[in-house]
Amino acid sequence: MLHAETAARAQGRVRKSPGAVVARLTARKAARSGVIWGYIFGIAIASSAISYTRIYKTQAQREALAAAYGSNKATGALFGPAPQLQTVAGFTVFKISMTLMILGAVWGLLTSTRLLRGEEDSGRWELLLAGQTTRKGAAIQALGGLGAGAFALWALTALITALTGLDSQVGIAAGPALYLALAMVATAVMFLAAGALTSQLAATRRQAAAYAAWFLGVSYAVRMIADAGVGLHALVWVSPLGWVEELRPLTAPQPLALLPIAVFTAGLAAVAVRLAGARDVGASIAADRATSRPHLRLLAGPTGLAIRLVRSAVVSWWAAIAVSGLLFGFIARSAGGTLSGASVQQVLSKLGAPGSGADAVLGVCFLLLAALVAFAAAGQVTAARSEESGGRLDHLLGRPVARSRWLGGRLLVAVAVLLAGSVVAGAFAWLGAASQHAGVSFPTLVEAGVNIVPPAITILGIGALALGVWPRGTSIVVYTLLGWSLLVVIIGGIGAVSHWILDTSVFHQMASAPAVSPHWAANGAMVAIGLAGALIGGIAFHRRDLRGE
Amino acid sequence: MAATAIRTEGLTKRYGNVAALDHLDLEVAPGEVVGYLGPNGAGKTTTIRLLLGLINPTGGRGEIFGLDCQRQPVEAHRHLAFVPGEANLWPSLTGAETLHLLGRVQGHVDEAYRDKLVARFDLDPAKKVRAYSKGNRQKVILIAALMTRADLLVLDEPTSGLDPLMEQAFRQSIREARDRGQTVFLSSHILSEVEALCDRVGILREGKLVEIGTLAQMRHLSALTVEATFTGPVPDLSRVPGVSSVQVNGRVVRCHVRGPVAPLLKVLANADVTHLVSREPSLEELFLAQYGTDGQDRDARHAAR
Repeated sequence: MLHAETAARAQGRVRKSPGAVVARLTARKAARSGVIWGYIFGIAIASSAISYTRIYKTQAQREALAAAYGSNKATGALFGPAPQLQTVAGFTVFKISMTLMILGAVWGLLTSTRLLRGEEDSGRWELLLAGQTTRKGAAIQALGGLGAGAFALWALTALITALTGLDSQVGIAAGPALYLALAMVATAVMFLAAGALTSQLAATRRQAAAYAAWFLGVSYAVRMIADAGVGLHALVWVSPLGWVEELRPLTAPQPLALLPIAVFTAGLAAVAVRLAGARDVGASIAADRATSRPHLRLLAGPTGLAIRLVRSAVVSWWAAIAVSGLLFGFIARSAGGTLSGASVQQVLSKLGAPGSGADAVLGVCFLLLAALVAFAAAGQVTAARSEESGGRLDHLLGRPVARSRWLGGRLLVAVAVLLAGSVVAGAFAWLGAASQHAGVSFPTLVEAGVNIVPPAITILGIGALALGVWPRGTSIVVYTLLGWSLLVVIIGGIGAVSHWILDTSVFHQMASAPAVSPHWAANGAMVAIGLAGALIGGIAFHRRDLRGE
Repeated sequence: MAATAIRTEGLTKRYGNVAALDHLDLEVAPGEVVGYLGPNGAGKTTTIRLLLGLINPTGGRGEIFGLDCQRQPVEAHRHLAFVPGEANLWPSLTGAETLHLLGRVQGHVDEAYRDKLVARFDLDPAKKVRAYSKGNRQKVILIAALMTRADLLVLDEPTSGLDPLMEQAFRQSIREARDRGQTVFLSSHILSEVEALCDRVGILREGKLVEIGTLAQMRHLSALTVEATFTGPVPDLSRVPGVSSVQVNGRVVRCHVRGPVAPLLKVLANADVTHLVSREPSLEELFLAQYGTDGQDRDARHAAR
């Protein structure tokens, strides 16, 4: 009897398991982060909608907001078009859609490259392929699992949006709420597929993520030009971000735009599956030289090694900062031209852009650049942790290298990278602004660039603290702090959030230079917090055991 | 260098209720080659990571050439070279770049010997680490350690992934190190390797050092295997003092003898013995004697749980 039951259970498992092991594993991992980000997406949408109803109570206030932004092509270039700002629905879409589209794309590309190329890099993929599947079959299963992650992201976003819509003042019906959630998740779906494709093209997970990130940057730039009001709006159909924008949720829905999104996603997925079946495991489609002439100049110690390891990623990142700064500077004058008048300035101030004219626009732009710089800081900390968890640090600390020398060197390299990035941001923003005669001086914009470093140093220091006291949680700590800070500053700019909560955002502490002068005291405090975190983290790191994954 | 190469006193590492290493007292003299044996999870890697200061002891202390492993790790590391159990290297660097980096970090490299080792181990240093097989990555970290000519070589499963030819190259390199007066602390699963290279052997079991000595000492303390073939009736050997594990197969008897063999010889002298073989236990037999002859003991323990 017992044997019969065991056999039946075993048969049941056999029937259920082998064909879908990869799909289930991938789905579990993707859905876990999909739920977290779905919650963040939903809260962001809900907060924007509810805050609007509380702050802009009169029709006059709402009309003033619409007047400030509704016809401004340059802010449209930055954040997308702003139709119907006098309605809750219109404002909500304008306020959060571009942020969520980009966050969704970043989530998508990081998730798929982690669960495809990352698993292959670690050798776990081979174990899965040794089961009852093929390379092609495993890729199909993994894509199915990623789909489950995207569904989790959409479901939670939709649920929270629909519940928010029940509020009588918000008044968004269930259908439009689900459609809004679909639009917000559409970039995530496309970049899951893009990440799946670059995972076949690149030789490493980092390289795969970089390819997909570059594609995202180009998509954003093309959409920006399309929305800049320079007669090239047709370009919006060339960019995946443009297709999502054309879905026009809550304002003038255009479901036809789902067609290019679906075709693009399916196309990328099909090519990814085909390449996965055609190439050897561990190999890449893009040429990856197996041999190289030795370049020894930097390889004299742990700090030189740190520079060598981050060099290519940092150069790409500086290039992204430079292009972003140039574009922001380029549109600042035309964007600022329509921003004048006391009521408009009041509205802008609530949106986190105090001041007027080009300065106000650049103030918002430098907040976006601050987020980019902070992401780089988080990346530097997690890279340091991966040296430890991957066992590579043993080779250095098993030789005459003090722990303080290794960690101190890495943090110094990170600070230098951040400072140089901030100067690049300021210089290129000035170049763009000067080309349009925006009237913002070079020292002012370099100062605004340096002003975005302290939040990143706070994140770096708190990351170092996590590395010292909770190494396995380093990534969770830095990215949670970063995500939380962004969320608070997005929602908090409207003004309906307690200052206790606002103060927890590193970006809230940062003045919107060049719209206002940098708050050097606040910046000093953020740097001090970062230094204190690094110091305590360094002491804890010196005393603790090295720990693997 | 006169000080003891490795000295530990009550060195202990606990993870919660589990003792990964339990009061290890160990001394390794300069110039010695010491093998360190034990199955997975016995505490070999924990010992090495404690000696390197990569993890902190729960109790006791360790010294490398008189330098405290925890308080003076950098000074201690100047006297040693280390081969970790896992060859996790930087994938984007080539073999040559990795050797250069690790040599610069160590502070001293015998470049002529490095080139000799690269040729001996048949390593292509122009390849990127990500293009290397596991065995080739292992060669890189072996060469990185050997090329420093450090006073002490601390090797944790150094030949995992190497083919038999490279295993021979490794043995040759260790003999050269011993001839130069270098000390070698070799943690290994390959008993023949330890038997061929080591002056002394320590056996670790569940975090405790249960045996340490030269192979001759350990054999002396262990049972001698005796096999006798008779033409007439087989005598009862089970009651002979010192004799154990008596197995009778027709007219052939196999048994173990611990201590003096005279009582057994007296009994055999009175019987019709046509063929007699006695031999000392191999290291493998000594090792298995500590852990049971095969998996049966473990199976029995699991079954009892």
